[in-house]
Amino acid sequence: MSAAAGYFRRGDSWLHRRNPVTKLLALLWLIFAAFLLPSPALLVLVALLAVAAASTRLLRAVVRNLRIPALLFASILVVNAFFFPGARDVIARLGPLAVSREGLSFGLISAGRLLVAFSASILFLYTTLADDLLEALVARGASHRIAFVVLSAVQMVPRLQGRAAAILEAQQARGLDTGGSLRRRVGALVPLVGPIVLGSLIDVRERTFALEARAFGARPGRTAYRVVPDPAVDRLLRWAIVAAAIAVVVVAIARPIG
Amino acid sequence: MSGTVAMDAASGTGAATGTGAAAGTSAGTAAAGLLLDGVSVRYPARRESALDVSLTVEPGELVGVAGRTGAGKSTLALTAGGFIPRVVRARVDGSVRIDGLDGLTARGSDLAGRVGIVFSTPANQLSASKLTVREELAFGLENLAVPRSEMDARIDDVLDRLAIGHLAVRDPFTLSGGEQQRVAIASILAMGTSVLVLDEPVAQLDPAGSRDVAALLRRLASEGRTVLCVEHDPDLLGRTDRCLVLEGGRAAALDRPGTALGSAVQLPLGLRPPTLVSLAELAELPPDRAFDEDAVAGALAALRGRGPAPRATAGAAGHTVPEPAQRPLEWSPRRPSPTPTLAVRGVAFCYADGPEVLHGVDLVVPPGQAVAIVGQNGSGKTTLAKHLDGLLRPISGSVEIDGSDIGTRGVGSISGTIGFVFQNPDDQLFNRSVEREIAFGPRNLGLEVRLADELVERAIELAGLVPVRTVNPYDLGLSVRKLVALASVLAMEPAVLVLDEPTTGQDGPGADRIGSVIDAYRRAGRTVIAVSHDMEFVATHFERVVVMRQGEIVADGSPEEVFAPDRAALLASTGLLPPVAARLGARLGLGSTPTLHTLLGALRAQER
Repeated sequence: MSAAAGYFRRGDSWLHRRNPVTKLLALLWLIFAAFLLPSPALLVLVALLAVAAASTRLLRAVVRNLRIPALLFASILVVNAFFFPGARDVIARLGPLAVSREGLSFGLISAGRLLVAFSASILFLYTTLADDLLEALVARGASHRIAFVVLSAVQMVPRLQGRAAAILEAQQARGLDTGGSLRRRVGALVPLVGPIVLGSLIDVRERTFALEARAFGARPGRTAYRVVPDPAVDRLLRWAIVAAAIAVVVVAIARPIG
Repeated sequence: MSGTVAMDAASGTGAATGTGAAAGTSAGTAAAGLLLDGVSVRYPARRESALDVSLTVEPGELVGVAGRTGAGKSTLALTAGGFIPRVVRARVDGSVRIDGLDGLTARGSDLAGRVGIVFSTPANQLSASKLTVREELAFGLENLAVPRSEMDARIDDVLDRLAIGHLAVRDPFTLSGGEQQRVAIASILAMGTSVLVLDEPVAQLDPAGSRDVAALLRRLASEGRTVLCVEHDPDLLGRTDRCLVLEGGRAAALDRPGTALGSAVQLPLGLRPPTLVSLAELAELPPDRAFDEDAVAGALAALRGRGPAPRATAGAAGHTVPEPAQRPLEWSPRRPSPTPTLAVRGVAFCYADGPEVLHGVDLVVPPGQAVAIVGQNGSGKTTLAKHLDGLLRPISGSVEIDGSDIGTRGVGSISGTIGFVFQNPDDQLFNRSVEREIAFGPRNLGLEVRLADELVERAIELAGLVPVRTVNPYDLGLSVRKLVALASVLAMEPAVLVLDEPTTGQDGPGADRIGSVIDAYRRAGRTVIAVSHDMEFVATHFERVVVMRQGEIVADGSPEEVFAPDRAALLASTGLLPPVAARLGARLGLGSTPTLHTLLGALRAQER
């Protein structure tokens, strides 16, 4: 995976064509809405995301990338279902353990909120080129350094993945066996994690050198080679998102979260 | 184009004194170019200065910097490029002026657009945020606030200068290391700075690419730019106006390249002069013509007619041709294992979403051969090498060890037979000492402790790492870390050793050590396969040379066959140049003489 492309998947869908700032605002709104709106709204948000992903032909890819967070969702659900503090309404028993209605409900809501946050973020990364995001932020007057922090955050995982793949190759070439028993697998982590941590520090130095050598942030009024489109519909959408955000806040204040 | 030269801190020029000038205010009055006056650089927590030097490089001048690993070359480049102390922390005394600005106090915004710095690896040069080479080249221009309307012309100009127009729409991440390096050089050139500092810019380039960059630097200097270039490549150093030789951070010599790289300077430092200079000295050419291949060929021809014939170690006028400082190493395996025949049969390969980079490659390597894989940047050399131990799997065709297809066998299980030494050592080093790092491989093989310890000892000695065995690998320079990575694979005593660009970043003694390890390994009946751009190294240490071009093998034979005069056109089409001895032998009608010793031998034979 190219660090420049990151998670970005080339395409020409309606979502690909949106301005990165519009998509960033939409992402933030979805996350706030998931945590602030009453729990039934989660179903609407999940459905919205599924439709958006399907319409951009990215539904399968988004679902595939939810495999790892799915473990987190499942653990939240299980822990809350069995160990929710102060739960009274027992709906099932498993030996000495009891599943409570309150715990199950809280677990489902928490996992649902995380599901919205994860899938919205993945869809954002799939349809937004990191460099376009940087340009769009800088064009809106964001400090180039802040824009770069956003860019680095977006690129961090693909860069780490690239380095981890190279390190895995190098250690396997010295006979490292990454399969077998759990103990063996845990032991195999040491020669992988060490170079990744050290490599990340080297990476920071390399990035600093690269950006300094190319005069990043040296001059005000940075120009752009690649023009990021910002059609009228995006401006309209951003106002709509602002209005929707106000609506979310109003609903959240009017009704307790639950 | 002569520059004012100060050989020590005490004799700096008057113009260089005074560090108090505020950045940006003196640009109109202070001298352009580069001026380091009595500059001493000391890194935090180090007692000794890494650099203690004075140097002036005037506009229109190209100055080279040579010296062994750790001599302070990169520190000089970082200081001259405005990175020390602004980006890299260090205590600096003395005065640094870069295009009229005070290099020690100037802000990045003042230096931007005045000085450009090129490093040896693409990793610390490319933005890693652009999807095409064109956009990558525009990155520096965007930061300098160059109007959009001017960008395309400047980008086209550097694409043309670096001959990388065909890469313009490619994703920089998918290019080979050498191609990325050309993009990195182009990206700095596009910024149009008046001062250019380069730290081993051609280390990853194929010979033709190196020669192109050397010619380009010469041209940039003649256009009035100030160019300072740290390099090991003799071809590039030979084109400089003057060459600074550093030793222990101090100037050992600053003179015309023929003198600074001559035996009088190099031998006392434990270094060998470049082959062309050795031959020029043998033929008693004046130093200013030592890098003139025509002149050296002419002088050798005249010498031949004058007799007595030059000998391998002593020339007609008593000059000597230095032997490698490295004595032959004795080595025999402690883990006896039969060396297998390796066979690559019809292998085709492409990276994800990329074009096919290997097109049905066939290669059989019998036991005990030393095979060099050469070719231009991006020709598929490393990709082919990575197939040998299963790091990459072909999309069609097969890789066989002793007739058995490795199929889906794990890399770990193959590593006991085929050891792969990567170009970047930092992908594998993680232990807190050199000896623990080297013990990692034998431990993975599950060997008994006593045998594993013995293998580690032997590998440490073989790679010449005894003095640093307890040191943390990350406290060592890149060239030594590469030796640690090599030793960590040697300790496993694989029957086949695969090396990816083993001499990149190595000075003469480092390359000689690696060459001796290869020789010793081959003498022990084991196979060595190496990817390399260093044709002289290839001709000296390998019995078979496989030439690749665009994912195919286009020549395969002994160095004498591959570097023969009638193959010159074929080699040129692959971005390669025969070694200098082969080129001279061809000019003198001596047939194929790929090494210095075969050239001298041919001269002697003709005399008889």
